[in-house]
Amino acid sequence: MTAQPILSAHNLTRDFRVGKRTIRAVDDISFDVQKGECLAIVGESGSGKSTVANMILGIHPPTSGTLSFHGEELPVKRTLLHREKIQLVQQNPLSSLNPRRSIAASLRLALDVHKHGTRGERPQMVQKLLEEVGLDPSFANRSPSALSGGQRQRVAIARALACQSEVVVLDEPTSALDVLVQARILRLLDDLRTMHGLTFIFITHDLSVVRNIADRVAVFQYGKLVELADTEALFENPTEEYTRSLISAVPVVSTEEVELRGRLSKTEAADGGVESPGA
Amino acid sequence: MSADLALSIRNLALSFKSWSGTSQVLHGIDLEIKRGERVALVGESGSGKSVTARIILGTLHELKSARISGEVWVAGREMSSLSQSERQALRGTDISMIFQDPTTALNPVYTIRQQFHEVLMRGDPKISLSTAEQRSADILREVSITDTERVLESYPFQLSGGMNQRVMIGMALINEPQLLLADEPGTALDVTVQAQTLRLMRDLVRQHGTSVLFISHNLGVVREFADRIYVIYKGRIVETGPAASIFDDPRHAYTKALLAAIPRLTGGGIPEIQEDSEAFFDPMVTHEDVSA
Repeated sequence: MTAQPILSAHNLTRDFRVGKRTIRAVDDISFDVQKGECLAIVGESGSGKSTVANMILGIHPPTSGTLSFHGEELPVKRTLLHREKIQLVQQNPLSSLNPRRSIAASLRLALDVHKHGTRGERPQMVQKLLEEVGLDPSFANRSPSALSGGQRQRVAIARALACQSEVVVLDEPTSALDVLVQARILRLLDDLRTMHGLTFIFITHDLSVVRNIADRVAVFQYGKLVELADTEALFENPTEEYTRSLISAVPVVSTEEVELRGRLSKTEAADGGVESPGA
Repeated sequence: MSADLALSIRNLALSFKSWSGTSQVLHGIDLEIKRGERVALVGESGSGKSVTARIILGTLHELKSARISGEVWVAGREMSSLSQSERQALRGTDISMIFQDPTTALNPVYTIRQQFHEVLMRGDPKISLSTAEQRSADILREVSITDTERVLESYPFQLSGGMNQRVMIGMALINEPQLLLADEPGTALDVTVQAQTLRLMRDLVRQHGTSVLFISHNLGVVREFADRIYVIYKGRIVETGPAASIFDDPRHAYTKALLAAIPRLTGGGIPEIQEDSEAFFDPMVTHEDVSA
């Protein structure tokens, strides 16, 4: 294609040993991610989407297959630079932020580890980070338990941005949040992506979120990549039955959405597949 | 309270007393559920929807720091006039509840069979093991579980989340309660599993004629489930009416904001959300019920 992809996976496979059995969590997956794009990975629990995220982050080494970053193969043992460039935002910020550390200390640690700025500059950089994610600088000395879910998620995002990160893996970043807070966090993420030219790998099971934030969507089922398409095309004309069933499971509010779901689930009803939601 | 109401809440107020003063959580809410009706209570976290459920269950009455005023009529009885043991007797028989996360709601050290037996004994303390077995298997078939023998023998961790949720629904309905409280059931599950369980629950309560109070933060989830909707914001009901009417013509600023916040499957970008506005405190809007 045009430019070199920022991240690409070649025939990624990952097995887990459970007792005497071997479970293939990710089965021969290949995809490219272009710089600045938002690739959504969707699928049910157990589909392997989080395992792929863990491999990208270097938490699990792949059983076979490779990952490359800017065209260079990522080693099993990541360097500090790799860890700096590829960051993670998790689903539950309460478990990803150290409860004993103040917000400022958590952000400061990221700067210390990756040696950004001088010691004197860092407190100011922390303030700037907080502002960037829409948090009042007075929050700096609070502990995570004194923040709301949305505010905590903002801190987690600030920490992922603290370094010169290029790829951010977002593992269900909004599924623990209320709809109003979710909308605000999604807006923030999208703004930050444009501002910093970030690349997102957005893992979720909520297709209505995907529709509005992702450029491309990869659908996972039982560890296999069953469909990879542009968001627009995927929602207008999904080729896989599984994708259709995922789309028609989304709770909706408007008449147009009901129509879209109805159109997609028609073929299912004919196959005697998943019962149509209006029935 | 009239006989055709399964639940009637009149001017319910709740505050919590702590060393730093009292905080008002519910500012006098009114809510009614007719027999066989499915009603949704929708609001953000902290709006007071879950404490309302706990007052209906009667568990909050036992908390010393809770100050409750107003009336809550369930199954013809006013909750605050009952003793602790009388309230306890209502739970699991006349009122039952389904929680968000089925795997934490079930006891991990008992089999599903033992847990069903315990629930059935609340309705009939002398129930024999064989009858209990029979009735559990029947209700499991109703929630579309076919291999009932295996499920009854299992511990919760041996079953999937969706399976546990169905077991929970079965347990909640087995004593034919008059009122079922469902606090965000299935939000801990996958979308596909959630859609299935909601559909299943809707069909079941319709067959059994159970009245339901469904609590959620997402209007989209209740769309296909509820006959009527109450929208709650910071301890006040801001809008109420038949579900179709709320979705077609939301009138309160807060309801509009809640609806606008849901990303659309048809696209249109990430919703623009204004910060909390004064208009959210506007007086309550009631939609006329055309069918009544």
